[in-house]
Amino acid sequence: MKELRFRIIIILGAIALSLYLLYPTYQDSVNNKEVLSQLASYETKIKKSNPSISEVQLQEKINSIKDSILVNTPNYKSAREKRMKLGLDLQGGMYLVMEVNTAKLLEKLAKDPDEQFKQILAKAEADSKLTDENVVAIFARAMKAKNIRMSRYFGTIREEDNQIVKKLEQQETDAVTRAIEIISNRVNQYGVSEPSIQKQGSRRIVVELPGIAREEEAKKLLQGQALLEFKMVKEAEFAIGVMNKIDETLAAVNKIDSSASKSSLPKTDAAKKDEKQTEEQFAKEHPFFALARLIDPQGRVADAYVKESDRERINALLENPDVKKVMPDNVQFVYDAKPVKGNDGVNYYKMYMVNKEAELTGGVVVNAQANIDPTTSAPEVTMQMNSEGAREWARITGANIRKRCAVILDGQVYTAPTIEGKIPSGSSRITGSANMEEAKLLEIVLKAGALPAPIEVLDQRIVGPSLGQDSISKGLNSTWIGFLFVAVFMIVWYKQAGSFADVALVVTVLLQLGVLAGFNATLTLPGIAGIVLTMGMAVDANVIIYERIREELATGKTVKAAVDSGFKLSFAPIFDSNITTFFTGLILYQFGSGPIQGFALTLMIGLITMLFSQLVVVRVLFDFMLAKGYKINVG
Amino acid sequence: MRLFDNLNIDFMAKRTKFYLMSSAILLLSLITIFIKGVEFGIDFKGGSEIALKFAKPINIEKIRNDVDKLGIGNVEVKTFGDASGVLLRTELQELPKNVMLNVRTSIESEIAKVFPGVDKKVTDSTASSIVYSFADPATATAINNRLNQAGFQSTLDSMEPTNTKISVRMSIADLIKISLAENYTDNPFKVEKEDRVGPKVGKELKRDAVLSVILSLIVILIYLAFRFKFAFAIGAVIALFHDVLLTLGIFAILYGVIPGFNLEISVSVVAAFLTLIGYSINDTVIVFDRVREQMKIHKTLSIEENMNHAINRTMSRTIITVFTVMLTIIALLIFGGEVLRGFAFALFIGMITGTYSSIFIASAFVLDYSNRTKTKLTF
Repeated sequence: MKELRFRIIIILGAIALSLYLLYPTYQDSVNNKEVLSQLASYETKIKKSNPSISEVQLQEKINSIKDSILVNTPNYKSAREKRMKLGLDLQGGMYLVMEVNTAKLLEKLAKDPDEQFKQILAKAEADSKLTDENVVAIFARAMKAKNIRMSRYFGTIREEDNQIVKKLEQQETDAVTRAIEIISNRVNQYGVSEPSIQKQGSRRIVVELPGIAREEEAKKLLQGQALLEFKMVKEAEFAIGVMNKIDETLAAVNKIDSSASKSSLPKTDAAKKDEKQTEEQFAKEHPFFALARLIDPQGRVADAYVKESDRERINALLENPDVKKVMPDNVQFVYDAKPVKGNDGVNYYKMYMVNKEAELTGGVVVNAQANIDPTTSAPEVTMQMNSEGAREWARITGANIRKRCAVILDGQVYTAPTIEGKIPSGSSRITGSANMEEAKLLEIVLKAGALPAPIEVLDQRIVGPSLGQDSISKGLNSTWIGFLFVAVFMIVWYKQAGSFADVALVVTVLLQLGVLAGFNATLTLPGIAGIVLTMGMAVDANVIIYERIREELATGKTVKAAVDSGFKLSFAPIFDSNITTFFTGLILYQFGSGPIQGFALTLMIGLITMLFSQLVVVRVLFDFMLAKGYKINVG
Repeated sequence: MRLFDNLNIDFMAKRTKFYLMSSAILLLSLITIFIKGVEFGIDFKGGSEIALKFAKPINIEKIRNDVDKLGIGNVEVKTFGDASGVLLRTELQELPKNVMLNVRTSIESEIAKVFPGVDKKVTDSTASSIVYSFADPATATAINNRLNQAGFQSTLDSMEPTNTKISVRMSIADLIKISLAENYTDNPFKVEKEDRVGPKVGKELKRDAVLSVILSLIVILIYLAFRFKFAFAIGAVIALFHDVLLTLGIFAILYGVIPGFNLEISVSVVAAFLTLIGYSINDTVIVFDRVREQMKIHKTLSIEENMNHAINRTMSRTIITVFTVMLTIIALLIFGGEVLRGFAFALFIGMITGTYSSIFIASAFVLDYSNRTKTKLTF
């Protein structure tokens, strides 16, 4: 009995753990329903106030409201982070496989490409479409066959062919990293929730954008060259002056609004004199500074921290016609590309005020290299410009000593170093990167101007939200019906023992879902099929054991002895047969992609949880019944 | 309830009949696979596929005619889901040259509408995009906006203020969507799904699929050789190979026979093949396990008798275990929807052939192997 208790505790523990892991998923679905009802009311409100609004604009507004609700409510957020995610095939969205076009890259890198070069390259490109080999390798081989040295087009004359090939391959890898950076930068600006951008193999990029409603726009995100700009950051005095004006204007607007809407509540003097302003009051009196918190209270720098969720609101405030009047039209606000995490666990973006007009664009950058400063051993990035750029750069740096210049890629700031002195040669050093990784990122960004990363789409799949919804309901239906079929059959066939099997079946699926949630796995439609299939396979072990027990009973053994030898003799075949299924699951996981991996994962997890519930849970049920002296009916 | 309680059939004596039957079906499968061929889905073939859902039911014939006029060759048009859904598919991934010329004409007439006689140059043109270069950045931006309004997928080549190039893209799906949107103004549609698969990805997938099937067979061969005897492992793998080939054959035979039933080899059907390889070995293992047990207990009996006894004794559980999995597969087949149908069907067929082969083929092969080579198998 003591040993039995131990097993019961393990079983209950496993069930409790699964429920705990699944709770956020449940909570999230409840939250979603709440948010949807809130959104519905917003939608009618927006439609009322602006009947001529187009479907697209409305959708955009609703989406931004939805995002801000989700981000601003900590409960929603934490449930969302821990929930079981739905695959693109269930929630709709876009899936893209992209590859860096090495041929275009080689053409850009070549010293002086002639007709012959172009011919060899075109052939190499065509060949690469049919094999796994990369263009660089094929190109190098073709060159060798024609007895032309690689240094004819790349590198220096003294370099060996394989050295050059190695360098070109490095360039290719860099181009992939650059493309990933550019894409994530744009995707983040576009506000796609939970995008996934991954490198696959050496030069492929897999992008998953869930819930994209306007695919045309999303596709544009991924095309076109990135724009690298150098813009001067406004001096603190000027910027804070402008920000003060914006703040005052907004406060004035608020006052008019509130006096118009509320029947001018008489404010008590006590509240006015209260020196400790409550946050609400501060927000009312300083609507702008409440959202954009100045980093330096003394006002030596005008950078401000903005909460991730407040960016939309700041943008909306800046659209106000009164604000537009006080904001000089040659400046703009820009944000850092990467947020910093505040003490409250929320992401904050640094906001800068810069000149609208770029001093220089990235086309002038010839090369950039991250390295370690030998004297201070701090990471730094060196950057070279072409002669035209260098001339301009000398003038700009000379005129702006001690001022800051922001490096901006597609509208996002990557760094804003202070210009220490005039840079006459076009060769600059940028220090201040926190670590080598950051420096490397800056190198990649700086190269974006000179060396674009031409990418092409190999594989593109879009699932509309309605098809996804349809798949969810069909998946759920087949799960229920499959369960019902199996459960009813087991009871009809094995009577009481069959009901034990059904209990084990519920435990199997519960644990399976719990483990999936614990792994942060993504549920796909084939994944649901995996769950359904698991239910059919799960009772197999019961069948094998029960048939064996029947046989043993037929030989005249006591119930206890029959149960004992039934379980004992069935273990080997159950284990053998399930492990082979597990092996094929592993192979499928290795070779499959996306949804199929989801299927393989659910199947493998299902096999393990099923062994646990058949061999442990069912056994405990039997032992418990036998210990209590009940009779067991195996049909 | 009981099934086959005191079953006592001499399966092994009838094995020639089963060999003949299997060979006949396999031959039929092979012939169909070679003559008719199996139909691969877009995952493997590459191409473009788009599923649209219209607001009102549509006439498939009419859509077929409309699409035929586009001149993009053979486009498969079928219903998708209910009467208001349509699935269009072509093996082409890019527009043919002559269609691209038409598209180019319509782009240029669009440009001419706003900027008649504007100075433009085509700097690059591929099968799916054209790059135009204009005299100044302002013109390029204006034309880019105009083309976007007209439904073309136009982008500025770069965001540099000095940029004078725009690139206009046109895929097959875009062309179909634009033309159907024009023809069906009173019956708007939404895109349910849109797939475009390049030849490279499809080729890799095909290789991966074949590799993974072979690898699974090898893994199972090694595992069973380790757990039982090599002869048993060979017997089991032959039975599995038989199952896969037969299922593939049935896919080939039935393709296009049942209307509205999409029996093409997609990635998920391959997943079903692997699953059935992993699963249909279960029955074989159960029989083998019992054979081993019998052979240990009844050392004096012939292997043939032991096998017969083992198969008869395990018959009920073999049938019942497959039946329970069948129940869930039927649920998937009927209620799982269009996307899972091929997957469920492959499993359905595979389960039947799998059970048959583990009873009639796997053990019989071991017996013949032992008889032919005169090796006495003992455990």
